[in-house]
Amino acid sequence: MPNNYFNTLPLREQLEQLAKCRFMDISEFSDGVSALKGKKMVIIGCGAQGLNQGLNLRDSGLDVSYALRQAAITEKRQSWKNASENGFTVGTYEELVPTADIVLNLTPDKQHTSVVTAVMPLMKQGACLSYSHGFNIVEEGMKVREDLTVIMVAPKCPGSEVRAEYVRGFGVPTLIAVHEDNDPKGEGLALAKAYAVGTGGHKAGVLMSSFIAEVKSDLMGEQTILCGMLQTGSLLCFDKMIEEGVDAGYASKLIQFGWETVTEALKYGGVTNMLDRLSNPAKIKAFDLSEELKVIMRPLYNKHQDDIIDGTFSRTMMEDWANDDKNLLGWRAETAETAFEKTPAGDVEISEQEYFDHGILMVAMVKAGVELAFETMTAAGIVADSAYYESLHETPLIANTIARKKLYEMNATISDTAEYGCYLYNHACLPLLADFMKGIKTDVIGRGLPVDDNGVDNARLIEVNTALRSHPVEAIGAVLRGHMADMKKIV
Amino acid sequence: MTTRRPIHLEALTIQFDERFQLNNINWQIEPEQHWVITGTNGAGKSALAAVLAGAGERVSGSLSGLPARVGVVSFEAQAELIEAERKKDDADILDVISEGTPVHEMLFKDCADPATARDLVARFKLEYLLDRAFRKLSTGESRKVMLIRALSSNPELLVLDEPFDGLDVDTLSMLQAYLATLIETVPMVLVLNRFDEFPDFITDIAYVNQGELQLQVKRDDPKAYAELYQLLHLKTTQLAVPPADPETAIPALDPAQPLVHLNGVSIKYDDKALFSDLDWTINPNQHWQLSGPNGSGKTGLLSLITGDHPQCYVNDIFVFGFKRGSGESIWQIKQFIGYVSSALQWEYRVGTSLRNVIISGFYDSIGLYSKYSDRQRQIADQWLALLGMSHRADQPFNKLSYGDQRLLLIARAMVKHPPLLILDEPCLGLDDMNRQLVLALIEKICAGTETAVIYVNHHPEDRIEGIENYLALNAPTPTQ
Repeated sequence: MPNNYFNTLPLREQLEQLAKCRFMDISEFSDGVSALKGKKMVIIGCGAQGLNQGLNLRDSGLDVSYALRQAAITEKRQSWKNASENGFTVGTYEELVPTADIVLNLTPDKQHTSVVTAVMPLMKQGACLSYSHGFNIVEEGMKVREDLTVIMVAPKCPGSEVRAEYVRGFGVPTLIAVHEDNDPKGEGLALAKAYAVGTGGHKAGVLMSSFIAEVKSDLMGEQTILCGMLQTGSLLCFDKMIEEGVDAGYASKLIQFGWETVTEALKYGGVTNMLDRLSNPAKIKAFDLSEELKVIMRPLYNKHQDDIIDGTFSRTMMEDWANDDKNLLGWRAETAETAFEKTPAGDVEISEQEYFDHGILMVAMVKAGVELAFETMTAAGIVADSAYYESLHETPLIANTIARKKLYEMNATISDTAEYGCYLYNHACLPLLADFMKGIKTDVIGRGLPVDDNGVDNARLIEVNTALRSHPVEAIGAVLRGHMADMKKIV
Repeated sequence: MTTRRPIHLEALTIQFDERFQLNNINWQIEPEQHWVITGTNGAGKSALAAVLAGAGERVSGSLSGLPARVGVVSFEAQAELIEAERKKDDADILDVISEGTPVHEMLFKDCADPATARDLVARFKLEYLLDRAFRKLSTGESRKVMLIRALSSNPELLVLDEPFDGLDVDTLSMLQAYLATLIETVPMVLVLNRFDEFPDFITDIAYVNQGELQLQVKRDDPKAYAELYQLLHLKTTQLAVPPADPETAIPALDPAQPLVHLNGVSIKYDDKALFSDLDWTINPNQHWQLSGPNGSGKTGLLSLITGDHPQCYVNDIFVFGFKRGSGESIWQIKQFIGYVSSALQWEYRVGTSLRNVIISGFYDSIGLYSKYSDRQRQIADQWLALLGMSHRADQPFNKLSYGDQRLLLIARAMVKHPPLLILDEPCLGLDDMNRQLVLALIEKICAGTETAVIYVNHHPEDRIEGIENYLALNAPTPTQ
């Protein structure tokens, strides 16, 4: 039976671990990949993260091979194809793991227990086991052999982007951590840093965090603002537009590409810039709507954070795992049947600015979700840097997946854990916003404010601008975005 | 005034002397058009203008619609007149000092339109030298006399070759204004080198290069007009390719070693080979042309060299002193390579400034993520000057035209003076004008540096001067 590691710690240590997060200076990476040079790196799993991280590490001059289960090799499954077509050595756990100086577990969360259980006895004395997500350690309480070093290196982007940014000569922001219970030789940090350099992460910024802070903030971000809010928002906004007689194709397109467009502004200049893209009256409208939304949704955000912190969330999800994913699969099927999902985007031209002007409610939802997630996380003891990355920073990345193929693509791209959390949020949030939505008309979603008068009250505008700019997510955002020397468009 | 008709040059080849001819000129001058002929020195601008004045010997093709009275001003015509005057002097067997023909006689004897001639004498303020001998005039003065003669001849076509040369500012603007009053009555063809001297009434521009009329640009097409400006700049600039940055110099290579040695390489997908068992050795300063039909694996082969293809690790590849797969990083490889392709251009869709795009070449990155030195910035600015883009240094790259982006990416590839420059179909997707621009830049680069060039093109017959080695890939086989 899983034993929640976090819950075994005294409060003092829980708080200390949650608060761990420091933005590292580039000078801390001056040793490059030397700590891993000549060491044998064996990656378990060859999906998007596994393959792309491996490509980067090899291009950085490191020795990378892939261990797959015998069945994947015999049946020439996609993971086998991915690895062998790219010229990597592929072998079974038994063949490769005993030779490894460092094993990179890049399988989905759900498989961690079985993978680590299978791999651990094969690993040589004093080797290193690396994760890219701490769920297995923190929520499932996996106990790793005492002689093994356990680290985490988690690029904060999908695998395809990890590769694309490396090829450009850059990287993606990356979180690293050392599991303090498993650092017998004190080399965990050096290995994690070298690994981050090997994937190019050090160029985009590395956060030194803890397994606990990573898990608790990652879960919170993905189920609330990142996936949950965008899913709930998509369904509510679409249904409202249809109810108000907006053309279905237009409504579908406005939402499918609207999240991506408005959050692109978010990526460049935070919540402030996203709202600055609106006219003055529209900005004030969006601000008021978001304030209203924050009041209604705050208890829900608190509940998600509380359930994550005390382990309720992971326990119920693992019960569903044990129950053959009954809930997850049911909810996934349900999402596929929604009107938004089934209405293709119309063949209509929508200008970049129109996505803002006609999507005031969407802007308000993003603002409310980002700020609430950030506020809730920091209130729970997670530091601002972590909270920023897990809320604002990742929102455009998820929005991109919706632009590709709506909610289906989003849910297919994110982890099962994120997907499960997203549905939980969605089911709670839809009824919560029912009354609010009754007051919504097409001026804020679908058609835009009437343009006959752009006048606003000076005092009110100053108030709104000040409130936007003084939110704590904007302060930390300005610092962290400053570290990314060059913002570029990700199409 | 007679009804005017177009002047039509069709597939016209004209011989001037043994050394120069104009080839296959196709050109139509409509009565309401006013042209500038431009190009580099020796390109054939004046020759083309002279054709309109009846010069040259027709080899083939046709020329029709030339009017009877063509007013001509050119350096050659001026030299001829002065030479004729000098001969008059030499021919004088009497021991009397000949004054030669006085200006008033040059202007008014046999003049078709004396009123205009008088008017222009006043405008040019030439009254004071009417009695002076023509051959005693300064170059500028005799040029003015030539202009008056041409303009007062009741011309049906005016051919003015560098008419503004040697004129002071006031006279230049007076003449421009005067010509503007004639636009309804007579079509004009001006030979001009400086864009800032193009009068406002010019409707069309002809670009002449190597004895050919290569481009015809409408004045009211701002994009083509700007590109022509840039082309002329690249062709005529005295600026050389800027130096490398001594502080981030590329490590020296063993000159006895090949840059690249591919030993029996192949690329395979699903057991199907794109190509197999291919050998290729590229030595320092050796230029290659790589050709082959679509799908023959040209880009794949190159990516084995650049390290962009993952199968470079399972092939026997030696590049820049490294055996691939021996613990080297791709950045150690890429530092030796400059690379341009449409795929790179597609990847390079960043909003960063033109200057930063060039500087990124020092770091082999798409976008700029490093702090650069003042020296690197200076070098980038020198490249921008060479490209004629100095005034756009801070504009965003992704707002540039496709052709300008290509030019900038070539500069980016060359900024570090790599031992190997790979140009993967550098003219792909470019129109004539931009093709000319890119080729002008490549010529400039090949002339000024010690870089081995791999030029990729899918037409083996489309060869480039200076390239002496060829590798042709075969069409993919349907089954393997």
